[in-house]
Amino acid sequence: MAKVTITVNGEARTVSVPPETTLLKLLREHLNLTGAKLGCDVGDCGACTVIVNGKSVNSCLMLASQVDGFDVLTIEGLATTDQLHPLQTAFEEKGSLQCGFCGPGVIMSAKALLDEEPDPSVERIRDALAGNLCRCTGYSKMIEAVQAVANSVNSHPSVKSA
Amino acid sequence: MEKKTVVAEKSAPAQALLESVELELLRAPALAPLSPLPLEVLVPEARQQTPAVGQRATRPDGRLHGLGQTKFIDDFYLPGMLFAKIKRAGVASARIVSIDTKEAEAMPGVVAVLTGAEIPCNSFGPSLKDQPVLADTRVFHAGDGVAAVAAVTEQIAAEAIEKIKVEYEMLTPVLDPLESLKLETPGLHAPNPNIYGHKVIKKGDIAKGFAESDHIFERTFRTQMVEHVPLEPHASVATWDANGRVTIYSTLGRITLGRSDVARTLGIPMSRVRMISTIVGGNFGGKNEITTEPVVALLSKKTGRPVKCLFTRPDEFISSTTRHPLIMDYKTGVSKEGKILARQIRLVLDGGAYCSWSETTLGKACILSAGPYNIENLYAEAFVVYTNKTMTGAMRGFGAPQVCFAYESQMDDIATALKIDPMEIRLLNAFTNGSLSPTGQTLHSVVVKETLIQAAQRFGWNGAPS
Ligand code: FES
Ligand code: FES
Repeated sequence: MAKVTITVNGEARTVSVPPETTLLKLLREHLNLTGAKLGCDVGDCGACTVIVNGKSVNSCLMLASQVDGFDVLTIEGLATTDQLHPLQTAFEEKGSLQCGFCGPGVIMSAKALLDEEPDPSVERIRDALAGNLCRCTGYSKMIEAVQAVANSVNSHPSVKSA
Repeated sequence: MEKKTVVAEKSAPAQALLESVELELLRAPALAPLSPLPLEVLVPEARQQTPAVGQRATRPDGRLHGLGQTKFIDDFYLPGMLFAKIKRAGVASARIVSIDTKEAEAMPGVVAVLTGAEIPCNSFGPSLKDQPVLADTRVFHAGDGVAAVAAVTEQIAAEAIEKIKVEYEMLTPVLDPLESLKLETPGLHAPNPNIYGHKVIKKGDIAKGFAESDHIFERTFRTQMVEHVPLEPHASVATWDANGRVTIYSTLGRITLGRSDVARTLGIPMSRVRMISTIVGGNFGGKNEITTEPVVALLSKKTGRPVKCLFTRPDEFISSTTRHPLIMDYKTGVSKEGKILARQIRLVLDGGAYCSWSETTLGKACILSAGPYNIENLYAEAFVVYTNKTMTGAMRGFGAPQVCFAYESQMDDIATALKIDPMEIRLLNAFTNGSLSPTGQTLHSVVVKETLIQAAQRFGWNGAPS
């Protein structure tokens, strides 16, 4: 068993897991954070995307013990009880998701991008979402949603901290 | 005692009401319009733009999706749940000589092993019941399951299926659908022939049509196999209650069909099977029939614990259904102006190892194969054949996209050869209101030409008629 201590969505957690446990399994099966999804288990689809120390990663490709001491943000950590994250609002309003399976991963990739680059071009958005496959939507409404948030972040800098 | 008929006579109060109230009044809408409207406004008009077109639609579940709170099948856990994995044959065509599961069974953490021989009724399918749940005597394609393991962790189950030894007597696979079409090719599912579906549509006289044509175009078009790749893999969870009822949670889109297939394969009445469809993470036609459901049900029965099986991505590619590859021979006779006078089509659908939704696909592909064009003389024939490949089944459009690729490509060939604008040749031949479909149905609300013209104008096609 490997002992792993991480900060998940702002909360420190310590878990003992079998050494082969991936970060995805750690989150889903040990911490009950099922927002990140398993789509392929080999780093191809992006359904498992979470943010580790500010960078978006495929959590199926990281071992839990690799994130020991790290800061992990999952889709569950974006909204507060009374407020959605602007990306979540935009995805809802623009109807960006259909079956929704890819959604948490896509939103986390978009969040990592906006944190780094508040005013990305469409090319940059496409690039940031390139690792997130969606079989339902065709991506255009997701890109619109990310653009809408980028614009609102720029016109209201206060949203930035959300 | 005599049973009362359901269609009873009108009750006395209803009768009284009918007598006392003018019938006209009963037909009036419950809410009167604010101002009297001319009646024709209420008649739905074909081709009238509905207000929904161009509006943004949001989904009631959109917020939960974005929050990561939508619960898919893999997002819940039942106490004591075991994990199942299915061993795939890995060979396209073989006879199974023996299956040795001893080593797998002896592994710590393995709770039960299941083989095809233990399945009460080892066959299912939406039309032909030609598919085994787990292959027991014969392997028809590399993705066939040959055994399954339930273990306390997924990891152990995955290791255990590697320990199962299957001895095969290799057979020569039939991989080319045209080979399979030949009558001398031995039937894969003997005594049944390889051609398991056939359809012909005849209209007019093609010999006459070709004789009158100024040009005849012939070409073969082929499409490839396509996997649906739903982002959420197929999965199911089964659990039995003490009364001998099984509850199956499943990613299936067609649970009623799934329920009858499960009942059949388990050999129990449908009333003993409860199917719960979980939120589906993408279907596209690929989640239309059972896959792991009877396996988890039987493993759960053996172990007395809930059992879950989640397809791996490779499982998804090799053992779920795919889109039919088609070989499409088109022969089209046209006048020098480009009017289609005769068309002869032969479609060969590669059905893969099992029938699945081939019959539906065959019918739809054949009916649509002539395209949305007025063709007086038509002969369309379609065959679906078995091959030792991943089975083909339902996928968005059931054969319609494949034939569309063929007939539209040929329209372009003809336009190029005759130096006609590709738009023009389509406008010359396209269906209009009242056109007859290849099967003789009068078509209404036809706006092919209007749509083409508008689309061409909007994207600035230079040949667009203004
Ligand atoms: S599950 Fe991690 S990339 Fe697909
Ligand atoms: S919404 Fe279904 S996969 Fe993206």
